[in-house]
Amino acid sequence: MKIVVDLNRCQGYAQCAFLAPQVFEMHGEEALRYTPLAPEDQSERVRRAAAACPVQAILVEEEAGPGVR
Amino acid sequence: MAADTLYRRITDHANRADPYPLYAELREHGVARQEDGTYLVGTYHEIAELLHDPRISSDQRNRTNPDEFALGREGMPVSFIGLDDPEHDRLRRIAMRPFGPPHTPGRVDALTGEIAKVAEQLIDSFRDRDRIDLVDDFAYPLPVTVICRVLGVPREDEPRFHAWSQTIIDSFDPTPGTDPTERRRAGLDARSAMGEYLGDLADHRRGRQSDDLLTAFVNDPGPEGGFTREELMTTSVLLLIAGHETTVNLITNGMLTLLRHPEALDLLRREPALMPRAVEELLRYEPPVQLLPQRSPLTDVEVAGVTVPKGSPLILVLASGNRDPQRFHDPDRFDPTRQDNQHFGFGSGVHSCFGAPLARVEAQIALTELVRRLDAPRVVEDPPPYRRSPILRGPRHLLVEYGGTRP
Repeated sequence: MKIVVDLNRCQGYAQCAFLAPQVFEMHGEEALRYTPLAPEDQSERVRRAAAACPVQAILVEEEAGPGVR
Repeated sequence: MAADTLYRRITDHANRADPYPLYAELREHGVARQEDGTYLVGTYHEIAELLHDPRISSDQRNRTNPDEFALGREGMPVSFIGLDDPEHDRLRRIAMRPFGPPHTPGRVDALTGEIAKVAEQLIDSFRDRDRIDLVDDFAYPLPVTVICRVLGVPREDEPRFHAWSQTIIDSFDPTPGTDPTERRRAGLDARSAMGEYLGDLADHRRGRQSDDLLTAFVNDPGPEGGFTREELMTTSVLLLIAGHETTVNLITNGMLTLLRHPEALDLLRREPALMPRAVEELLRYEPPVQLLPQRSPLTDVEVAGVTVPKGSPLILVLASGNRDPQRFHDPDRFDPTRQDNQHFGFGSGVHSCFGAPLARVEAQIALTELVRRLDAPRVVEDPPPYRRSPILRGPRHLLVEYGGTRP
């Protein structure tokens, strides 16, 4: 799945880094690093992270594979 | 009715089951000055601004008439929820070190398996019954087990710390017309007792290895030097109370809302992947923390055309901001798929909820399992009886009947 984080909106609440720590990572207190192409086994965690973002800065595009809408 | 009695009406237990018409009335008045000089704010944009305004203090010492109880007492000072930066920030960062990023990013994620197991075992015990009290049988024991595990508090000590916790919460019950002196003294005593209990637990962890916060606080202080014993006590009391008196309401309010909206319940049963968003909507629609009673301005501050004088009690009614039609489309409608949802369920700004990620995962797992496993659940008594507190609002009991449980 593809991930885009609007870093202009991000305020460092770090909810994503708790909920999907293999995809989103805090560097110091406020800087966020993330993996733009997350493996499928992380999709549940990424969905949790995107829903939890207090400033709704995370955009997730589910992979359009065969049999998937 | 007069706007200057709104706080009295909001805190009146008779209005606990449905405070939302009062919040609508509050929003119509903008900022509502109460008879005693307290100011209430219930509109979304004003609350958001105030939560991010450094001129707004969380520290009682900045009030013209500080609440003696909220100042703590010698040996048991105020925890970081009642302090401003930089002291608030320092203590919060020390507490965060073993709990989350950047130092311990995997803690909450690693707990998900355990949370699911606790939920599974609790629901397994419903098998031979057709009626449960969702509060006592599920929504309370689940987060208690989890916070004990996280902090390193023995689960079997629950009756002790639950009694302290109730006394502390009752002591800041703002119900007017009751004499708070005795309750407050009892609250301070309970807070000291709970602090000593947690301090002693931490002392015994010195030099030991265990994957919990109390152990980490005493053995891995980090570059900033860690907590003093007093700071450890006050912070641990805060985390234990917050961890077990709030999530219970998120789960119970959540299930009650789903039972009142059968089409939402069906949708989530069919598509459990929607649960994270549904929990955000529950945090907006029925937030477990309804209002923040402890703010006050450091200088005269203008809010929506009203001057709130320096040192006045300023109460931010988060649950009202969450229903503000100026911010949310059709705010009184529960929509588990709502997109634009920057709610105040966990507050906002520097004091935003410390345990939010844990509460989110607990609620997501708890509700997913309840929805999946309970067959034809229905509320026995609606509205259910509510707890006293207008701040930490939720049912005291929620009787649910069901046709059976699925494996």
